[in-house]
Amino acid sequence: MRKIMNKPEVLAPAGNLEKLKMAIRYGADAVYIGGQAYGLRSRAGNFSYDEMREGVAFAHSRGAKVYVAANMVTHEGDAEGAGDFFKTLKDIGVDAVIISDPAMITICFSAAPGLPIHLSTQASATNYKTLEFWKSVGLERVVLAREVGIEEIREMRRHTDIEIEAFVHGAMCIAYSGRCTLSNHMVNRDANRGGCAQSCRWKYDLFEMGGTAAKTLIPEGAEPFSMSAVDLSMLRHLPDMIEAGVNSLKIEGRMKSIHYVSTVSNVYRTAVDAYCDDPDHFTFDPAWEDEIWKVAQRDLSTGFYYHVPTEKEQLFGKPRKIPKYTFAAQVMSYNPETKIATLQQRNNFGVGEEVEFYGPGFAYFKQTVRDLWNEDGEPIDRAPNPMMTVTMTVDQPVEPYFLMRKK
Amino acid sequence: MNIIATAESEEQAEALLDAGVDTLYVGGHPFGLRLPRALALDQIGTIVQMAHARGKKVIVACNALMHNEQIEKLEMYLSQLAEMGADAITAGDPGAIFVLEKLTLPLPYIYDAETLVTSAEQIEFWLQRGATGAVAARELTLTELEKIQSKLDRPVEVLAYGPTCIHQSGRPLLTNYYHYADLDEQSDNDRGLYLRDPKNPDSRYPIFEDEDGTHIFSTEDLSLMGELQRLFDHGLHTWKLDGVLLHDERFVDIAALFVEAKKALESGTFESAGFSNRLRALQPQSRPLGTGFYLKNPDDVK
Repeated sequence: MRKIMNKPEVLAPAGNLEKLKMAIRYGADAVYIGGQAYGLRSRAGNFSYDEMREGVAFAHSRGAKVYVAANMVTHEGDAEGAGDFFKTLKDIGVDAVIISDPAMITICFSAAPGLPIHLSTQASATNYKTLEFWKSVGLERVVLAREVGIEEIREMRRHTDIEIEAFVHGAMCIAYSGRCTLSNHMVNRDANRGGCAQSCRWKYDLFEMGGTAAKTLIPEGAEPFSMSAVDLSMLRHLPDMIEAGVNSLKIEGRMKSIHYVSTVSNVYRTAVDAYCDDPDHFTFDPAWEDEIWKVAQRDLSTGFYYHVPTEKEQLFGKPRKIPKYTFAAQVMSYNPETKIATLQQRNNFGVGEEVEFYGPGFAYFKQTVRDLWNEDGEPIDRAPNPMMTVTMTVDQPVEPYFLMRKK
Repeated sequence: MNIIATAESEEQAEALLDAGVDTLYVGGHPFGLRLPRALALDQIGTIVQMAHARGKKVIVACNALMHNEQIEKLEMYLSQLAEMGADAITAGDPGAIFVLEKLTLPLPYIYDAETLVTSAEQIEFWLQRGATGAVAARELTLTELEKIQSKLDRPVEVLAYGPTCIHQSGRPLLTNYYHYADLDEQSDNDRGLYLRDPKNPDSRYPIFEDEDGTHIFSTEDLSLMGELQRLFDHGLHTWKLDGVLLHDERFVDIAALFVEAKKALESGTFESAGFSNRLRALQPQSRPLGTGFYLKNPDDVK
């Protein structure tokens, strides 16, 4: 039986320590996080050195890796202190840093020799000579630009052995990453230094000048011009990504919830394992896609992998309606004799509601909440307070870190 | 001092040389980005001869983000450019630089990755890899540019006149919108289409689509006419005049004015108000002039 020997890693985003642990529990082989400087998500929950230490220890104890994004495009003075930063990351045992700026690469090589560097997607790598260039500089991995097609990746793999990381899931920048300063020019917020105001998603008039008068092209009643893309999902096409030689399958979304991170990691872990264990008898399980839709915030598409995105892969006006689930509670413990689970509430829920439990390894079941007790063992109808501890009877066994969601 | 001006044809190239520019900037598909007109190799060859006959130089744009198919054709293109005597190319894709390194042609490159060129340390990285200069991002302030140039012994090119590209997408954004809105329209470069942010009624961002995707430009045409003395004093002596959205004689007249300003600076007789007024008179009504990021405080943009 054929088996995929070089199984690609599932790489998940982790906005904070809790998400990092969840992503790894739910199957991620590696996570990427931000430090308190030099990243592009100034508003994401970024990691202190102590949190990194804890995250790295947790990951390494489970055979997972931690990468730190330091992909800011620096101006004069911005790179001050970066040497100490990289040196500390190396001492902490971080597995790689993700950089796009050559000045930062130079600093990293000299301050923290041996700390692997991955080229960020911000550097827009779109051809195999570019990959060879970065290999000659000493980088271990290149995160491809989102504009490459699957055939182009196959071609790259034929010409270079540097590690290739490619996005498989999540929101997409409408620009060739890094080639956008709309936000700089419109509101003085530098997209390449973490300040992106998402100006591409604003609504614009599109017009032409006839003499001195402007003539709009926006039809009466139509949505204005805007530049938002539907999200990427290559779940159905993972075999193509794997066979093309991608080494790391990247899920976007350091700002996303624990619900999102756990669900998407779980699904991709399961699908990648299923394919790699027996590629010749692989069949796609529609349940995987159903799971993804429970956390999807926009429509999904294959980005540039099979064709240049058309109007169907862009969002004009309001996002199309899709089923939404809320993260309701996290399982803290379970008593198999009484079949009672102890839960930490995350969103209001109560008796009579239909809920779903899910856990690592694609464990999953639905049930109705039949009973509920508060911390003192008193029966209650609802669990209204964030983080309150409640107990309830569950239909099937659960384990700590199973999550519960509801429609 | 080096005034670089884009040229869209052999005729305009000749007129620009007559006007006294030092270097012409030309290019074609699929290697050059956002040019006023894409030129074929033989046209570029003619322009090189024309320039060399007058002791002037020609830089050829190879600053596209290249995909495999393009990079495979680049080797031949670079060899042809070297053979016809082009003085330099611009390049921003590390793959293109890698190809050039391997070819060992007598063809220097100037690093040009638009928005990604924002510090002396970055530029130093490319100088170490053989670049002979760099084109600074338009999002830098003059304070930053002065600092950058002071740390480097090779020229940092500054946009002294022209529009600033503020967005490049691989997607055909106009065509996609036409399809969505059921419009029977063409996305011709010369059509003169703009975006307006309704929250800023004065905004007017030129937009067009071509083989490289969709390009959006700033509302203002940058003009450093009022700041040339400062550039001159701080060693920022390489100025680009970009005519990507401005064709024919009007652009040549503007280039001639900058050449005159350069001479005035060299002879110590430059007086910015007069030159700025003359530039305003030449500037198309539809394009306001501005100083972009140049006069901002570096701390105002974060």
